[in-house]
Amino acid sequence: MQSLTTHPNFRRSILVLASLVLIASLGAFSAQEKTRPMIAVIPKGTTHEFWKTVHAGALKGASESGVDILWKGPAREDDRDDQIKVVESSVSRKVQGIVIAPLDEQALVPCLKEAATAKIPVVVFDSGIKWDGRSSFVATDNRRGGMLAAEELGRILAGKGKVVMMRYVEGSASTSLREDGFLSTMKEKFPAIQIVSSDQYGGATVDSAYRVAENLLNRFTDLDGLYAPNESTTYACMKALTDLKRGDKVHLVGFDASEKLVAGLRAGSIDALVVQNPFRMGELAVTTMAKVIRGESVPKDVDTGCTLVTRTNIDEPAIRTVLEPPIAQWLKE
Amino acid sequence: MSAPNSLSGWARWNSTFKRLLGPSAALCAVILFFSLVAPESFCTVQNARTLSAQSVVVVLGAIGMTFVVVGGGIDLSIGSVIALSSVASALVVRAGFSSGTAALLGCFVGLMVGCVNGFLVASARLPAFIATLGTMGIARGVAKWLANQSTIYPPEDWTSSLMAKNPDPAWLLLAPGVWITIVIALAFGFVLSRTVFGAWVTSIGSNESAARLCGVPVVRVRWTTYALCGLLAGVAGVLQFHRLSGGDPTTANGKELEVIAAVVIGGAALSGGFGTVGGSIVGAILMAALANGCNLVDWNSLGRWGVSTEMAQTLSSWFGSSGIPNYVQEILVGVVIVIAALADRRRHR
Repeated sequence: MQSLTTHPNFRRSILVLASLVLIASLGAFSAQEKTRPMIAVIPKGTTHEFWKTVHAGALKGASESGVDILWKGPAREDDRDDQIKVVESSVSRKVQGIVIAPLDEQALVPCLKEAATAKIPVVVFDSGIKWDGRSSFVATDNRRGGMLAAEELGRILAGKGKVVMMRYVEGSASTSLREDGFLSTMKEKFPAIQIVSSDQYGGATVDSAYRVAENLLNRFTDLDGLYAPNESTTYACMKALTDLKRGDKVHLVGFDASEKLVAGLRAGSIDALVVQNPFRMGELAVTTMAKVIRGESVPKDVDTGCTLVTRTNIDEPAIRTVLEPPIAQWLKE
Repeated sequence: MSAPNSLSGWARWNSTFKRLLGPSAALCAVILFFSLVAPESFCTVQNARTLSAQSVVVVLGAIGMTFVVVGGGIDLSIGSVIALSSVASALVVRAGFSSGTAALLGCFVGLMVGCVNGFLVASARLPAFIATLGTMGIARGVAKWLANQSTIYPPEDWTSSLMAKNPDPAWLLLAPGVWITIVIALAFGFVLSRTVFGAWVTSIGSNESAARLCGVPVVRVRWTTYALCGLLAGVAGVLQFHRLSGGDPTTANGKELEVIAAVVIGGAALSGGFGTVGGSIVGAILMAALANGCNLVDWNSLGRWGVSTEMAQTLSSWFGSSGIPNYVQEILVGVVIVIAALADRRRHR
C-alpha cells in the first residue's frame, strides 16, 4: 500500500488547496464600494401568488426609493427554521435593513433581536410579532376591513334583517380582527340588524367551511345576509348559496379575491368583496425601510389598506390595479 | 476493505483517513468557493457561529444515523422524533418545570422511540425501512396530537441561551448547544472507532452471520444502535426547541433524508460495514455550508477577481441578485449525494 503523503493525487490536491487559500487571502485586502443600500426582504414562501405580488410591489418600492432588495424566502415553504436561517444569513451579509413577514410570532424573535444588536433595522410586514424592537409594522388593518364589510352589508340590507357571520378558525389573529370589526360596526351603525349567529367556525379547509355553511343556511331559513372573513369561507358560502338556490334572497359579503370569487362577484352570487393589497404591502414595506435607513421617522404601524370591490366598481381602473397588480411589469419573468 | 478493524493500527488509520479525504476536500472546496465569492460575509466569525448553530440538528442526527447505517440498517423516524421531542420539552416547560427537566424528558422521549425501533428491527426482525417508516408516522402524529396541532410556546418570561449564537459568557465563542454537540461527537466517534461495541456494530453491518458465529450479540447490539440514534434525535429535538423558542410539531419534516444524505456524503456505505462519525459530520457541515453560502453569494463582488462587470451582470441575470436561488442549492446537494455514492461504488468494485 502506497503511503498517503507520497500519493500523486494527494500531492496534487494539496497544491490546488494551497493555491486557492492564497487567492482567498488576496481577496480580503481588496475593498468594495457600495452605492445603494441593500435591504433583505423575507417572505413566508416564494411560490404562492400572494408572495409574487408582494415581490413585485417590493421591487416597485425599491426603484422608487433608490435601494436594492434581496428577495429570499425560506428554502422549504412555511418552515420556521429555514426562515430563521435566511434572517441569519442576511445578518452575515451585513444588509442595511431586514423586511420580514414572520412565519411565527415568537420563533423569529431571537434572530431578529440579533439583527437589531448588529444595528440592522427591522420592518415587519403582513403578520405580527411579539417584539417591540421593530421599526415599523406594515400590514392590512384587518379590523378596518371587517368594518368596511359591515358598512356595505348594512347598506345593502337597508339597516334591517337577519345576518349570519361565519368565523374562520380559532386563534387566527388576522381573521378574528376582521370578525371583531364587522360585529362592532354592525352593532354601532345598524342596531336593527339581527346577528343570528356569530359563533360558528368554518375551519381551515373549503370542505369543512362548506358543511358549516350548509348547516347554517338550513338552520336559518329566513336569512338576509352572510359575512365570511377570508377566501376559503367566502368560497364555501358562495358555493352553498348557489347549491341551495338561496343566492337571490341572501346577500353575501366576503373577504379576499381569487379568480373564482371575482367570477362569483360578476355573476351576482357575491355582493361585495373586501380585498387586501399585497402589491402595496410590498411597496410600503420597502419604502418604509428606506426611510428608516435615511434616518427619517416612520409610524409604528402602517396600514396598507383594504378596498371594497362591488359589481359596480369592479371595472374602475383603481380597482383593476388592486385585483390585477402589474406583476409582470416588475418581475419580468 | 470493508473490515478495517482487521488491519493494523496504522493501516486502519490510513484507510479511514483516505475515506475521509474525499468529503473533507469537498468541504474545503465549498468553503473556499464561498470565501471567494462572498468574502465579506461568509468568512467571518459571526457566520461561523451562525453556521455551527444551523448545523447542530443535522449533525446530531447524522451521528446516530452513522451507527445505524454502519450496522446495516436505516432510521427514517429521525425527523419525526426531533419534532416529538421538541414538542415534549415545550409542554414540560409550559407546565412550569425547569428547562433541565424538559431537556431530560425530550431526550427520554427520543430514547423511547429508538427502543421501539430497536425492538421492531432487531427482535421482531422487520425490515428497518418499513419499521422506521411506521414509527416516523406514529411519532409525527403523536407530536401533532400532544401539541393540539399547533405550536407550543413556553411562558412569555422563559428565555434560553442554549442556542444563542452570541453566548453568555462570551469566552464560550460558540452557542452552548454547539459545545454539547462537539462533546457528543467526540464521545460517539470514540465509541464507534475504538471500542469493542463499535467493532461489533461494524461486523454486523459487514457480515451478520459471520458476526453471529464469532459470538457477537447481534440482537442486543442492533437494538442499541437504534436506541442511540433515537436518543441523539431526542437531543436534537431539545436543541431545536431552544432554537425556535417553541415546540413545533411540523418541524424537521424531511430532516431524516438530509441526515441520510450527510452520512452518505461522509463516506458511509448504505449497505453497512463502513462509516465514520467524522465523515458524517463533515457531510452534514458540507450541506449546511452549501445552503448558508448560497444565501450569501454576491455576484457584484466578483469584480475583484478580474471578472468583468458584464460577466457579473450575466450571472446576476441568470441567478437573480439574491445570491444563488434555493432550487440551485437543491440541485447542488443532489449532485453531491450522487458523486458520493459513485465514489463509494468505485471503492467496492
